[in-house]
Amino acid sequence: MMEIDRELLNAGEQALLAVMILIIMFGMGASLTPRDFREALHRPKGMAIGFLSQFGLMPVIALGLALLLRLPPPQAIALVLVGCLPGGTTSNMFAYFARGSVALSISMTAASTLLALVFVPALLNLYASGFAARIDAEMLAEGAEGFVIPHVNIIVSLLLVLVPVAAGMVLRRFSPDWAKTAEDTAAFMGIVVILFLIASVTIRHGGLFLQTPGSVYIAALGVSLAGFLFGYGFAALWRVEPRQQRAISLETGIQNTPIAFAVILLSFEEPLRSQMLWLPILYATSVVITSSVVTLYFRRTGRIDDEIYRNSRVHRRLFGADYRTPYPEAVVPANLKRHLPRIHAEVVERSR
Amino acid sequence: MAGMDALRATGSHLAEMYARAAELYGGLPAFATRRARGQWTPVGFRELFENGRALATALIELGVGAREHVGLLGDNRLEWILADYGVQLCGAADVPRGRDVTDAEIEYILRHAGVRVTFVETACLAQRVSKLRGKLPDLDEIILLEAEGSAPDGTRRLGDLVARGHELRAAGDRRVEERMAGIRPDDLFTLIYTSGTTGEPKGVMLTHANIMSQMENIGMEIRCTDRVLSILPVWHVFERVFEMIAVSRGCCTYYTSPRHLADDLTDVEPTFMGSAPRLWENLHQRILKRVRETHPVRQVLFHTAYFLAHYYKESVFFLTHRQLSLRRRGALWRAGAVAFHVLRWFLLLPWYGFFNAAVLEKLRLVVGGAFKGSVSGGGALPREVDQFFNYLGIPVLEGYGLTETSPVVAVRTPAKLVIGTVGPLIPRTEVRIADPETGEVLCPDPACPHGGRGRRGEVEVRGPQVMKGYYRNPEATKAALRDGWFRTGDLGMMTFNDCLRIVGRLKDTIVLSSGENLEPVPIEARLNQSPLIEHAMVVGQDRKFPAVLIVPAAEAAESADGELPERIGAEIRARVSVAGGFKAHELVRDFRIVVEPFRVGAELTNLQKLRRHVVTEKYSDLIESMYAQDTQRKERKP
Repeated sequence: MMEIDRELLNAGEQALLAVMILIIMFGMGASLTPRDFREALHRPKGMAIGFLSQFGLMPVIALGLALLLRLPPPQAIALVLVGCLPGGTTSNMFAYFARGSVALSISMTAASTLLALVFVPALLNLYASGFAARIDAEMLAEGAEGFVIPHVNIIVSLLLVLVPVAAGMVLRRFSPDWAKTAEDTAAFMGIVVILFLIASVTIRHGGLFLQTPGSVYIAALGVSLAGFLFGYGFAALWRVEPRQQRAISLETGIQNTPIAFAVILLSFEEPLRSQMLWLPILYATSVVITSSVVTLYFRRTGRIDDEIYRNSRVHRRLFGADYRTPYPEAVVPANLKRHLPRIHAEVVERSR
Repeated sequence: MAGMDALRATGSHLAEMYARAAELYGGLPAFATRRARGQWTPVGFRELFENGRALATALIELGVGAREHVGLLGDNRLEWILADYGVQLCGAADVPRGRDVTDAEIEYILRHAGVRVTFVETACLAQRVSKLRGKLPDLDEIILLEAEGSAPDGTRRLGDLVARGHELRAAGDRRVEERMAGIRPDDLFTLIYTSGTTGEPKGVMLTHANIMSQMENIGMEIRCTDRVLSILPVWHVFERVFEMIAVSRGCCTYYTSPRHLADDLTDVEPTFMGSAPRLWENLHQRILKRVRETHPVRQVLFHTAYFLAHYYKESVFFLTHRQLSLRRRGALWRAGAVAFHVLRWFLLLPWYGFFNAAVLEKLRLVVGGAFKGSVSGGGALPREVDQFFNYLGIPVLEGYGLTETSPVVAVRTPAKLVIGTVGPLIPRTEVRIADPETGEVLCPDPACPHGGRGRRGEVEVRGPQVMKGYYRNPEATKAALRDGWFRTGDLGMMTFNDCLRIVGRLKDTIVLSSGENLEPVPIEARLNQSPLIEHAMVVGQDRKFPAVLIVPAAEAAESADGELPERIGAEIRARVSVAGGFKAHELVRDFRIVVEPFRVGAELTNLQKLRRHVVTEKYSDLIESMYAQDTQRKERKP
């Protein structure tokens, strides 16, 4: 098992991480309006498929990977935790550039963030208890106190994380302009802090990269890729609109990692805390790369259906809500044909 | 998806293309007219074609013959294109001109072209043409395009003619089909009068074969899911070709106007647009102004983003062979440059990626956020504006051409977007660079090490887009066309990555950045009459206003001592004035004194004529100083 002799992050770094969580969650709130929560109800099918993919598929993928790669229990719990997380604002941005449905992405983020209060502890209990039991046994054998997953602490930390989100929404309510600034600054801060932490960890624990078993890297990288793949396949199976397929795929693979940091920092004790933190840090870094690649792929494959969608939307906006663009047969790709009437009927999507 | 790319209405002439487009695209919107902000009215391909066919039937009944010239005075609007449909479908050619046409031009053009029937856009224009009837014995019919406004007596209305045509068609009139069958590719589709250098406009004869070749060879990826915003005057062949390409691909054209452009860009979310340098200069100003008005944090974000985009894109352009390549470089230099750019690209990539997504995308939304490309023509794009948009991720594809080449000769493509050039030649087009004085071919020249690349001279063009000639003007035609080669009067060169670069004009006409033409010779002639002035040279190509370089007369320079600049300034104002017969855009706004007299063999030819490119090059700093304020405003940049 990988051993971390000292704490992975010192007190200063942990404080920095906490500030980052605060800022990012505040920025996330600044990008949301109550309307986003209400609108979730307007897309029942997309939301239902997305929900099943996010809270049904993704935790199983994480569990499967943890078992397949025989991850040590602390990392396995961390991986399952990552798998159970709700989506974050990053996924909305990627959905936008991947020609996905931004509205669905935003609604899924909003709904899953709320539902996380119930589902994260429940799913952790379901999928991580086995790993927790192994830690418990090990600790007892070493003569230490036993270990159980701290459910109450987890729920409290999830609640705490929602406080800055709510504050961000209040800001958005009173000053959309400042909210916009907060949103951008937050995303940038997130990247800077993560890179800083990696750099600082590299300096202080130089050997950590070498000590980290390959399976942990594969897990961090694979969990997002598998999420994209299965999310996309699942949505395609249910034949939702291509733009929603892309949004669901990205929403499934991209998780709100700051929540993982918050949960680990607030609910777990050392040395477990340090052992668990490393995996989400690696995930947070690699997910930027994997989702960029997937986004570029979606941009390419989704060009035609997105152009038709966008053109129809402009036509309805300019020519009246009843206008139906009569595309010639040859133009409409097969996977879009059955969706055209509904694309026509859909409410005009709010722009990013 | 292949199906969509393959969708393209073609034919051997425009009328056939119009008919095919109606079959292929049916009810898809072809043109859209703005009623108010966010409220537009579309007209479908089939409907437009049916109305056009009815109009053609009515025109035939009015006595319009095949290959006849029909006047078309007006600016962009649906009725303009309907009139064009009518004219093309009855086998005639139109003689277009904008609403700002002067009475003298109307008289000259309509008489020279032998126009019997003319369309006019507004009631006011109908009045003016009506008043000129006395001087235009050929003119029989005036047809008013707009439905509102009271028409003078004897004016017909477009709507009435279309209605009449539908009646005739319903009664079995099929003369349009006969006419269409009789159209040959060599027939004119339009006769466009350009303000020539000698003062008298010249009628450029463009054939169906000319425009069909343009539609075939301009490699723009426009499909029926695209949106073209129309802002340039449609009677310029550049905008017209764009609209024809849109029709042939089933894409809708949206008519906007300078006043509503900002709103319409965000409402229509255009994917393509024909544009002029002035438009990009304005947009550049507006974006910078918007940035200055935002929160300081956002300003910092913008400047960081632009800084990253600039260096990142510069490296990308270099690595994809899209850099301006004026010299042949050694292998060592190239290897070093490649290593440098790969490293810089790699280091900037993640930062650029983030800022591109978070900051630059919002700026792109200012122009609708959907641009695949905008072709800029009709003048050179200032370099910093060109870079600004291309680095921002709004591809501005500068092109080159003249009315005489219908118009596109060369245009940048996304794959060959070389800033500082007008891109590669379009297919089936040949360009050679000739010595303006001897006519010797400098490029392509097999005897020269790099085929003559990098050598400057007059640009000459041969290809299917070159005009048939100037109407009833054999001398001008002979001077311009030599063995199928059209002499453009522009100075240019081929770069080492085979793009055309335009460096100046041989011909004297100055095109201001507003697109207005002015002839320097009459202004200079007027100034040269002054006892204080030995030589004057007007400059202002691609600038906002004309200015002048003055060589003072030797006696005057001695006698006037300190007051010379003031006296020359007064002289210019007195001589070049509206009262003196000059137009507002011709008024010289600034001047500089050149101390060293012009010499024969250097700045002057043996015949004492100005060698403009020599003077422009020699005194480029002095000229620049007259526009310094202008550029300073522009350069207060990120």
